[in-house]
Amino acid sequence: MQWKKVSTVGIATVSILAMLGACGAGAASGTTDTKKDKGLEVIGTNVKYDPNHLVNDGKPISLEYWTWSDGGVDPVYQLAKDYSKMYPNVTIKVKKQTWDDYWTKLPLQLKGKNGPAIFNIHNSYDALIRPYAADYDVDKAQLEADYPTAAAHEDANGKVKYIDSVINTGNIYYNKTMWKDAGLTDADIPTTWDQFREVAKKLTKRDGDKITQAGFNFNGAYSGLYQGLNYQKGTLLFSADGKKANFDNATTKENMQFLKDLYDKDKVGSVDFGNEYSDSFGQGQTAMVYAWGWLEGTMKEKYPDIDYGVFATPTFSAADQTPFAYDRYNGESTPGVNKNQSKQQQAVAQDFVKYLLANDTYIRKAVEGLNSFPAKANLQNDADILKNPVMKAIQPRVNRLIWPGATPATVETSGKVAFENVMQNGMSIDDALKEGQATMEKDMKGSDFQSAESKYEFFSEHK
Amino acid sequence: MSTRSTARTVVSRIFTLRNMAVTFLVVYFAIFLAYPIYKAFAGSLHNWNPLNETYDWVGFENYKDILTDKLFWTSMANTGVFLGWSTVFRVVLGLGLALLLSSKLVYAKDTLRGLFYMPTITPLVAVSFVWLWMFDPQFGMVDKVLGINVNWLHDSHWAMPAVIIMTIWKDFGYATVLYLAGIMNLPRDVYEAASIDGANSVQTFFRITLPLLKSTTLFIVITSMISYLQAYVQFLVMTEGGPGTSTYTISYLIFDQAFNKNNFGVASAQAVVLFLFTGVLTLIMFKISGDTEGLA
Repeated sequence: MQWKKVSTVGIATVSILAMLGACGAGAASGTTDTKKDKGLEVIGTNVKYDPNHLVNDGKPISLEYWTWSDGGVDPVYQLAKDYSKMYPNVTIKVKKQTWDDYWTKLPLQLKGKNGPAIFNIHNSYDALIRPYAADYDVDKAQLEADYPTAAAHEDANGKVKYIDSVINTGNIYYNKTMWKDAGLTDADIPTTWDQFREVAKKLTKRDGDKITQAGFNFNGAYSGLYQGLNYQKGTLLFSADGKKANFDNATTKENMQFLKDLYDKDKVGSVDFGNEYSDSFGQGQTAMVYAWGWLEGTMKEKYPDIDYGVFATPTFSAADQTPFAYDRYNGESTPGVNKNQSKQQQAVAQDFVKYLLANDTYIRKAVEGLNSFPAKANLQNDADILKNPVMKAIQPRVNRLIWPGATPATVETSGKVAFENVMQNGMSIDDALKEGQATMEKDMKGSDFQSAESKYEFFSEHK
Repeated sequence: MSTRSTARTVVSRIFTLRNMAVTFLVVYFAIFLAYPIYKAFAGSLHNWNPLNETYDWVGFENYKDILTDKLFWTSMANTGVFLGWSTVFRVVLGLGLALLLSSKLVYAKDTLRGLFYMPTITPLVAVSFVWLWMFDPQFGMVDKVLGINVNWLHDSHWAMPAVIIMTIWKDFGYATVLYLAGIMNLPRDVYEAASIDGANSVQTFFRITLPLLKSTTLFIVITSMISYLQAYVQFLVMTEGGPGTSTYTISYLIFDQAFNKNNFGVASAQAVVLFLFTGVLTLIMFKISGDTEGLA
């Protein structure tokens, strides 16, 4: 009797361990693929993908893809399904985590052998994931021909671990009803900041001293806005060697004063009116805001009744002059491949990544889901994509947008604090810039950050 | 046979319920308390980022950095202001309402007690978001009801008071319930004796009620101080430490260093200083009150 009990428990334990072991190893179970020639066309412009082959020799294999987004935003969900349809022996399981959990758990998982074979990347976390990401197994020249911004992601050996699928930058969103009520037409869309100031004044409404409608609201948008303005004037965000923040300088001072004057002298808005610019715009309190493509999604989801338009952020230069850069851009990244996974898993992951890079559907879905501009050259003049007003506003500027690299958080947060100190706490601009610079330098001490500004095509034109 | 029996006896003596329970507790505290404290202290002596495996010895450099950092001292001062006002109002309001609820002046005591305690059991994140909207200068309820025009959370003069008001609203119910329990257990005969001696209500309160509630007050003050020293959720949701750095508290600073800037070494050094500060403050409170019985 005793022996029977022991045997039963033993067998059960061994079975459970065996099952768990099988799960951990992503082991073989499921369909085998024997059809090498699938009768499918080769896809891609420069990076080409021929689907007529066997993946993992046709043997069943299961991979994990980790992401923080849902299927409506992250195009990989759909493409993973399409891939598994082509290769029935491959299963790609999508695991979604919340944003905060993702960046805590992912690096810890990637350290071990059982981390996800493929994972979503946000370039602001470059330093965390870079040690665990494999180099893309794609020809460099072909990749750069398809994706002009890929070069900015190359390391010293000319290898990339991810690139931009789509990019985004700032635009001015305006409320069309308020625009019309102020007697403005399409001909009044400003191209310079001087013109913008006049338009903003016309769009501002007051009841005595109290603002009832802000012409322009940038409360909470300080960091993004000043960085773009600095680039327009040819000033880099980092020192020439790309290692130190370049915050306390004459250009930041000038731009901070310009923004302060918009509120204090032109009185087109106020720090006490509409604490969060995008909500204020969505609630119909503000006529114009500076925002990136994500506002499109917010408006659709939260404020569908607001009739709004988009135009390119004005510049300080005259219409016939080109600034050093119109603005900063940032990209949404293609997935990474886990270099600590097994060779089999990595081979399939590399094949899947190549499928994504060659596939226009992947980029179109990213454009749609992320409200961002295609980083893929052959889609940058696509009529369907340019029907979207945000894409139309970005398209003429796309070659003159600069990426500073995966900037350390302090550049954003300390910049924000400096602006709040000036706009809300009455600190002098000089003191705020000095303090901001000191904080950035202290926080970046010991960091191996290297700015990507020098990879910008027109880098030599900087101040 | 006898050897087997002896072995069984030894095993049954070792694996008693008491021994297992004690072992469980020791292991639990070793893993979830002692080890994290040790790790934080060790981490404070390193340039540490566990997410990219940086762990370089820097000695007391992190301590030197934080003690010469203006923001650290600003955060300490802000913490003092937050802790002081929140604790005082929690105690005063809690005691006042408990006295009111225990008197014959108020009806529907159970309902009111439940109502006052409700904010305490509501998640702090949710409460913070609600108050964030209530403090909005354009459509927030606070300005509308008071007929004023204050940008509470975006004005450095009002941001800290706004967070304190929210915190007091959320926490006073806890003090009320503890004081109510304390008041219910006060000996009636002492009050009868005072009444016979001709003591009025003010004298009774200051000479009898308050001294007899000393251990409850001490408990509320110490637990409040410890929890307010660690407060960061309301700051994260409502002000993000701003405007500027006007609502940075020590715990928010630790959070910011660790999870925004990934400087876990500096954050650990700040946490160690906070740990020592909390310990010293608690000892001082014990000394001042000269009574630790209520904490047992």
